[in-house]
Amino acid sequence: MRSRLQTISMVPIPSLCPRNRWQRWHIAAALFLLAGSVAAAVAQPTLANPTPPETQRYKVPYRLTDSQHVLVRVKLNGKGPFHFILDTGAPAVFLTKSVAKKVGVTADRQGWAVFDSFEIEGGVRLGKVKGRIEDLVQLDGMNTLGLAGVELHGVIGYNVLARFRIEYDFTADKLGFEYLPNFEPPDPERLRAEGPDDIQMMGPFIKMIAALTGIKANFAVAPRGFLGIEVAQRDGKVVIQRVYPGTAAAQAGLQPGDIIASVRNQSIDVPADLHRALRRAGVGSPLVLTIERQGKTLEIRLELGRGL
Amino acid sequence: MRWGIAGRVFRRSMPLFAVLAAMLGSAAGAVSDPANPPRPADTPKPAQAGDPTTAPESKGQTEPIVIPFELLRSRHMAVQVKVNGTGPYRLVFDTGAPMNLVSNKLAREAGLLKKDERPVLPLFGMGGPKTIQTLEIGAVQLQNVPAIVMDHPTVGAMAKVLGPIEGIIGFPFFARYKTTVDYQKRELTLVPNGYEPKDVMQGLMEKLMNPPKGKPEPRILTPAALWGFQVDKANDDTQEGVTVTRVLPDSPADQAGLRPGDRLLTLDGRWTDSVADTYAAAEAIKPGQTVVVVVLRKGQRLELSITPRAGF
Repeated sequence: MRSRLQTISMVPIPSLCPRNRWQRWHIAAALFLLAGSVAAAVAQPTLANPTPPETQRYKVPYRLTDSQHVLVRVKLNGKGPFHFILDTGAPAVFLTKSVAKKVGVTADRQGWAVFDSFEIEGGVRLGKVKGRIEDLVQLDGMNTLGLAGVELHGVIGYNVLARFRIEYDFTADKLGFEYLPNFEPPDPERLRAEGPDDIQMMGPFIKMIAALTGIKANFAVAPRGFLGIEVAQRDGKVVIQRVYPGTAAAQAGLQPGDIIASVRNQSIDVPADLHRALRRAGVGSPLVLTIERQGKTLEIRLELGRGL
Repeated sequence: MRWGIAGRVFRRSMPLFAVLAAMLGSAAGAVSDPANPPRPADTPKPAQAGDPTTAPESKGQTEPIVIPFELLRSRHMAVQVKVNGTGPYRLVFDTGAPMNLVSNKLAREAGLLKKDERPVLPLFGMGGPKTIQTLEIGAVQLQNVPAIVMDHPTVGAMAKVLGPIEGIIGFPFFARYKTTVDYQKRELTLVPNGYEPKDVMQGLMEKLMNPPKGKPEPRILTPAALWGFQVDKANDDTQEGVTVTRVLPDSPADQAGLRPGDRLLTLDGRWTDSVADTYAAAEAIKPGQTVVVVVLRKGQRLELSITPRAGF
């Protein structure tokens, strides 16, 4: 392993020049691998039987990550929420060590832990769910480069997935989960591993790619700033219907009946234009609006406030 | 000349990709057990294309298509797949795979690789991205399906124990359907839903080629409608939910009965445990859509129905 690492460190730094098309492709290919199926290192013959949930049908909110993984949020023993990928390619629940620490669970000698409460957003609450505490290099690598666009904490695999009939429909904003009360999924059989240890070298290696390409994970989010107006579309124009007192809009003197002609120099014809113009405007962002009021054009300057 | 150097450098950097590719080997759980030689799997016979019980998919069809899957001993799901009319081959169905992947053997037999075409990388036979003209799984037939050619070490290791497996079917396939996975019946049920999956490789390439310069900007969470309230949460507040600090008069929130001091727990079934979470939940709700919010008020859980309006 040492000698392999040396081979890698001998790769000249210019070989990762991001302007080199080949390199880009290969790095991207490598990233596909990162984003690939996350599967388990060890399948324990007996997985604990989770306590069933209260009802049978659930609507589970999800999001598709930038890497096209199906992500749901999970609270473990009441802590969280944490970000989990739904992965039929994994035989069990996997959780990173740092999250396990936060949750306060410790793994047994084989690396397994039991969660007294395993709650998936949307109300699915299971008891006594067994999971593996392990830093999967795929998740680590994706997190280092920020490929998913959101930090990943774990994977939900067979031992939980098999207990539900799950409906995936990416035209809807929720997944359907239906608990299968009369079904005891057969445990994975233990298949002896002769697995590649090379995997463990990936962590530092990905960090090297990150350093060389300047790609950094950025998971920061911030609320949009608030104007305090209701709008309607009238004759191909966006008209203010209502101005809420005490909001940025009221303080700047916007009035019902004002036509919003442009915002940040982008012309506004439909409410969707306004949505687009404000999409990157956080709380406190300065804003210049051009409005039409009784045939006159006015320029209004304001700072976006808080609220939604 | 720089390209020449780059080419040499590229060859020298092979171990790099060896390591990257090895990452997929994490499914080592699937690997050989001398006491359990390969044996046929224990599952229902997969439906073949042309099975009289299931009509081939036609345009506009919305009848559910049922595809039996095999539950491998590793508890992966396997389906029978025909590629460009050849096969069937056994592939793993994986909701966690953003790409379809096929082995060199399959790629060659199905004409995805030309006879003299060599791998892009001499590693795991990586052949780069290809387009499958016709992909058939049971009664489903898809045209122009993207796939990557590679001898996935994990798949190879599984195949040693479980018999031939020639790749992975993932997101670009099942995202096109309302897909129901039922481990009890060992069935996938597919109904076309018109969803067009994005090309994940393209997206990742863009991310790689244009790393953001300067100070990283936060992603702004943008509510799709106006609700008329404000929430806050102290840094040391670890309880669930956020506190409603303000409700605008006659706003949708006010009309629904939301009050300052309420502890907002969920919005349309989504946890609102932080200010950011609250906005993230509101991103999905359009003007005019009525949703339930759950609040805690004086120790009591209340469900309120709010219909946000068009506003900003």
